[in-house]
Amino acid sequence: MWRWLSEALAVAAKDLRTEFRTRVALNSLGLFALTVLAAVSYTVGPYRISAEDRPFLLAVLLWIIVFFAALAGLDRSFVKEEESHTAPLLRLAASPHAVWFGKLIYNLCLIYALMAILVPLYCILMGYKIVLLQSFVITLVLGGYTLAVVTTIIAAIIARAMTRGALFSVLSLPLLLPLMIFLIQGTTGASEGTTETVTNTVRAVLSMGGIMTIVSAVLFPVVWND
Amino acid sequence: MRVADISKIGLLVWLAAVIVAAFFYVHAAEGFIGESSRIVFFHVPMAWIAVLAFLVSCVTSVMYLRRRDPRDDIRASVSAGLGLLFAFLATTTGAVFAKIMWGAYWNWDPRQTSITILLLIYAAYLALRGAVDDPERRASLSAVYAILAFVTVPFLVFVVPRIYWSLHPDTIINTRGTNEFDSRYTQVLLASVLGFTGLYVWLYTIGCRIEAIRQRRRQEVLDV
Repeated sequence: MWRWLSEALAVAAKDLRTEFRTRVALNSLGLFALTVLAAVSYTVGPYRISAEDRPFLLAVLLWIIVFFAALAGLDRSFVKEEESHTAPLLRLAASPHAVWFGKLIYNLCLIYALMAILVPLYCILMGYKIVLLQSFVITLVLGGYTLAVVTTIIAAIIARAMTRGALFSVLSLPLLLPLMIFLIQGTTGASEGTTETVTNTVRAVLSMGGIMTIVSAVLFPVVWND
Repeated sequence: MRVADISKIGLLVWLAAVIVAAFFYVHAAEGFIGESSRIVFFHVPMAWIAVLAFLVSCVTSVMYLRRRDPRDDIRASVSAGLGLLFAFLATTTGAVFAKIMWGAYWNWDPRQTSITILLLIYAAYLALRGAVDDPERRASLSAVYAILAFVTVPFLVFVVPRIYWSLHPDTIINTRGTNEFDSRYTQVLLASVLGFTGLYVWLYTIGCRIEAIRQRRRQEVLDV
């Protein structure tokens, strides 16, 4: 058990170290998010949306930026292994489940780093007031986790295909759409102060994240060893 | 005549009888505008067959991953394609019903939203199949995605539309566990489900055969 965990952490550490050398995924994620945020802030700004529409519309825009930034950068974890031909060595060095978990931790680090910078900036620039701050953070954490789980398994699948870039978005978006809908509702609830909406969202996202984790963990060795 | 021919003609006669019964044997239901309640005999079976087709696709994908028989991969892809077709038809008939009852073809009702997501998921499955050249890799990646996709199906088809309030009429699998249908409606509906299942099995068998021939020919060309 500890060996598996140490292998997974080693894979994650390797990915994070190589990422900091080139910063490709960080740049893709970060620049996409910041550019879109700048565009939205400039065109919409804190004044143009009426007060009663603000909780919902600003939640929609926030999650659109997060999801599309994730689609721009989260496939790097597996694609770079294929491109640099280090995938066979990784197959020899670590067990498939350790690789899956390590890549998941790497994607989690990327998405949480993105959220840590983007979300406060978004709230400041768009004047987004959150009533239930704790619920908002929980929604972000759970949403980020489920997003990372789904994108990890899809990235593993498309890394073995030909037209990687376009295919990643095509495969991920339909699976992520229900998640996006739940997260938008939960964030709206956190902004308005309706705890029931947030509780429903947390329940739905937890179940979706749980199911996807189990299914990904079971199916990943098939994709990886193919 | 062979058994296969007789059963095909039988199926066509059965479906024709269902169509006639839908218009002449049952009366238009109360609470529905005009004759629009009759769409239940086509819309509901197509939705059920779509879910059945996606289930078959998932099961044959699991079987492929276990025994690596290329025929299982063919079955999975044919069934997913048919599921997509039936889901699309169910969506279209639903939109027609929505226009008659509520004045708009589409208003992103929770059921309409979840069926759209389902259509996108299986369209993505077909896109994935097109993007991988190597047949064995294509088969195993598609099998994994088909299993992932089916995990979302019960959620989208049965859970989400029941959590959120929807304009969609009360479903047959309802929370009270009762059949609220008139007996004639139940008879024709069951007959229609049987007919559409027969149609699915027929299309599935032909599709698998065609795909097997296509793959054999491709292999012959490569071997030459």
